[in-house]
Amino acid sequence: MSDQVVAVLDWIAILCLLAGALLSLVAGVGLIRFPDLLSRMHTAAKPQVLGLLLVLVGIGIRLIPEETNVFNIGTLILVGLFQVVTVPVAGHIAARVAYRTGRVHADLIVRDELAERLAAKRRADGGGGPPETRA
Amino acid sequence: MIDLKAKKRMGLAALRRRLGKVQVPVALGMTLVWLLLFDGFRLRFESLGLLVLGFLVSVVIMLVFPLPPITPGFRFRPVYLVRMLVYVFGRMAVASFRVTVQTLSPGPVRSSVVAVPLRTEADLMLVCTAIASSIIPGSVIVEVSQPNHILYVHLLGADDEKGIEAGREDIWKLEERIVMALGTREDVDALRAGPTVDDRREDA
Repeated sequence: MSDQVVAVLDWIAILCLLAGALLSLVAGVGLIRFPDLLSRMHTAAKPQVLGLLLVLVGIGIRLIPEETNVFNIGTLILVGLFQVVTVPVAGHIAARVAYRTGRVHADLIVRDELAERLAAKRRADGGGGPPETRA
Repeated sequence: MIDLKAKKRMGLAALRRRLGKVQVPVALGMTLVWLLLFDGFRLRFESLGLLVLGFLVSVVIMLVFPLPPITPGFRFRPVYLVRMLVYVFGRMAVASFRVTVQTLSPGPVRSSVVAVPLRTEADLMLVCTAIASSIIPGSVIVEVSQPNHILYVHLLGADDEKGIEAGREDIWKLEERIVMALGTREDVDALRAGPTVDDRREDA
């Protein structure tokens, strides 16, 4: 590979790594800044996914031409894949538990169609009793 | 005393029944993961062995931990798959930027929990749509109503009717792309036959 191509690849890798790191930083800031769990989920789970993917791309560009035996593209793809598949599961469970246990700041929620539905269901069940776990 | 021979026959029958339940596409997927794990895509002699070993391990895993089959299955449409991936990554980038702005700007950020009824019936499409909308910033799935195919989504920053409708439409668009890429023919028909965005808005 010519030096120029290597330089361009280097710059792309640098940009990816920096952008990824910045997004992860934003995720950290969001964790402190938002008051309720549901809003925190947005920053904790999301910019961090894209941030990690960008960091992985950066590593992939920079490390593969060097022929190291520690990382290969397969490992990086797997890391990204499992991150993408597992984050929504954890996020959904955390969000659901938070909602069901009432850890929602009502003043921050403008419209809540789930609460409307749960209330309607409770009325239909004849009042009383906890809301069903699966609507 | 239990007849050992009869027991063995029963065991063999059970094994055969389980072998019949092995889903080849799923096993191939697991083989792919195995190859990625051990760098099996380099051109060398060991790669062939890795391929065979990976497939065997996948089959053994499916024998030991049998799972219900994916019904009604899925089919790949490569062109739409690429379009879907590009769309998801584009949305991720845009939405990450938006959430970053919301995070860094002062003042409380208000949000809404919105019900999004999906147009397709298949569970697989529901799962894929849920995962995709979960990794796109700005939307967190709070609750899933599986029999009615409704996703309850927490939309960050949707503090008026316009924002709520925009968020709802985004998830419908996402569903459309995913069904076009992965859905069976029935799913695509259901998507086309399903009420349009405008009809849904009147219901909701």
